Amino acid sequence: MAEALLHAEDLGKTYGAVAKTVALTAVSFDLQGGEFASIIGQSGSGKSTLLNLIGLLDTPTTGRVVLNGHDTAAASRKQRAALRNDFIGFVFQFHYLLPEFSVLENVLMPGRIAGVSAADLRPRAEEVLALLGLEGLEGKGANDLSGGQKQRVAIARALMNRPALLLADEPTGNLDTVNTKAVYELFRELNRELGTAFMIVTHDRSVAQQTDRILEVQDGMLLQDVRNSYVERGPTGETELEEETERGSAEQAEPAEAALEARPAAAGGPAPSV
Amino acid sequence: MLSLSIAARFLRKSPAQSILIAAGIAIGIGVQVFLGSLITSLQTSLVDQTIGNSPQLIVQATTAGAPLDYTSGLQLAMKNEPQITTAVPTRSFSAIFKKGADSAPLQLIGGQLTQLDTIYDISGHLTSGTAQLGAAEVMVGKDFAEANALKAGDTAAFVLPDGKPATLTVSGVFDSGSAAANSTTAFVDGGYAAGVLGLGADQYTAVDAQVSDVFQSKAVAESLRAQPALSGLKVTEWQAANADLLSALRSQSSSSYMIQFFVLIAVALGIASTLAISAVQKTRQIGILKAMGMKDRESGRIFLWQAAILGVSGAAVGVGGGLVLIALFTFAGRNSASLFPIHPQVGFVVISFVVGVLVAMVSSLIPSRRTSKLDPIEVIQGG
Repeated sequence: MAEALLHAEDLGKTYGAVAKTVALTAVSFDLQGGEFASIIGQSGSGKSTLLNLIGLLDTPTTGRVVLNGHDTAAASRKQRAALRNDFIGFVFQFHYLLPEFSVLENVLMPGRIAGVSAADLRPRAEEVLALLGLEGLEGKGANDLSGGQKQRVAIARALMNRPALLLADEPTGNLDTVNTKAVYELFRELNRELGTAFMIVTHDRSVAQQTDRILEVQDGMLLQDVRNSYVERGPTGETELEEETERGSAEQAEPAEAALEARPAAAGGPAPSV
Repeated sequence: MLSLSIAARFLRKSPAQSILIAAGIAIGIGVQVFLGSLITSLQTSLVDQTIGNSPQLIVQATTAGAPLDYTSGLQLAMKNEPQITTAVPTRSFSAIFKKGADSAPLQLIGGQLTQLDTIYDISGHLTSGTAQLGAAEVMVGKDFAEANALKAGDTAAFVLPDGKPATLTVSGVFDSGSAAANSTTAFVDGGYAAGVLGLGADQYTAVDAQVSDVFQSKAVAESLRAQPALSGLKVTEWQAANADLLSALRSQSSSSYMIQFFVLIAVALGIASTLAISAVQKTRQIGILKAMGMKDRESGRIFLWQAAILGVSGAAVGVGGGLVLIALFTFAGRNSASLFPIHPQVGFVVISFVVGVLVAMVSSLIPSRRTSKLDPIEVIQGG
């Protein structure tokens, strides 16, 4: 097997020096390039912590993250920033667009951080904006857009540097159902067309079911790692799953659908992710 | 440079805040330029009024009253001293003015008028009569003339140091700007003074001199004392005789520096607090920029650039404002004898500008440090 795009090994995170809070314990998995995966879990389960660790936004208390062959265990803040810029795109629940800048300038930003001039970046930015159906909005201020448009601009910005991995943390948490559906369809399309690997944090099982692989986190541990294969997508958007369970943290193989249905309390839960 | 363009954009998108900070710098630097120039010009004016038209350095014989030979060696030594702008040999003596029962002492300085003018500028301060010193002529000060009802063309009777009487014609009346000098000093022809004092052609009572930088008079005097041509002679300079004036000038400078210092501190605190608020306001933006890969140093530079932009623009406006204030002050006082013209020094203005920029930059260190230390996760987790 080729070297994994992302190798998470024994990841753990404990907050606090005196009163310690264990947020994540011994999470290990590999993510290959082009995978379309999700992390699911209840509020407070540690799924966002996991995403922040693999996104190099936070440092693990134990374990290490190897990104595209780069072991980040001993990486400096500067090196981690450079790796984020080179390999990762982020989409958060909140769009985090820079209100002082236009749509185009926001999209250009990751490229400019990489040291490329705005003029050289412009064709790529226009291409990405077109891909997301944002043509004509280049000159608009970030605050002049609708919620759905803002999130699409945030996605365009995340794609600007052709990241190998796009990390999305509840990316549709602030969107209505129509926009939510559109965003996930867009993610799937981008995954297919650009080969970008996706890792989407969600508390919504119906969203997770649309991904090829589901990592379920509970109480800071990786409960199971389920691999799905889409065989057909019905006219209503319902999917038929071919179950292919890889492994669970409890070392028990479990059919994906059964595994998900076994925890109905978490499905569609309103609580936001951590 | 990305940090520069982000800094400029942040400033442009918060115009009120940006203008407030720049205005704070402008006021501080404007006050500094105006106050600094005012004090410097005031001191120059004071020094000029006090010693501008008098010898700042005097070479005399060591023994009081003994004649001094103005030898070619002494002349050369004076000439070779670069700070000395003029050196005039003089013959001075005291006489008593007599008018009926009234009498008044007067110090008579004898010399060539053209030479005396280079120090005392008698011709330039003439208020009546003619600027000339004939063999039996005297030029007296305005206050002396008024006190004794003398005017140009009148004759004045004196008792000379040897007790002999003498009558001199008042050729002109001058106003040196100092009532004391006007009342106690008069000028006569050098040849006449030589006759009164019984001096030879090359003999004088003193050599009066002026220096280009009055505050260098001590060093010039030291340098002269070390010269062989001046051995056996006494060199005195104005600072030794004007300790009170010097002390006043120093106190004035100190108070001026104190005011300027505290104005700058106030400006620095204002900038620092406003930039700190701005840094807090921009935390989310900085956090997401860092999440996208912006390095700590680059993000820290955003606030340094902001400070530099605000510092340069504020200091430039401040310098301009200070110069306008100076122009207004000078314009208002153009016909007033009690006001003096302010001459802004280019060096001081440039230093004020640089200080303004530096104060702004230093004030940005805290927000800049805070920004560079910000962890993107703080923003992402905080929503």
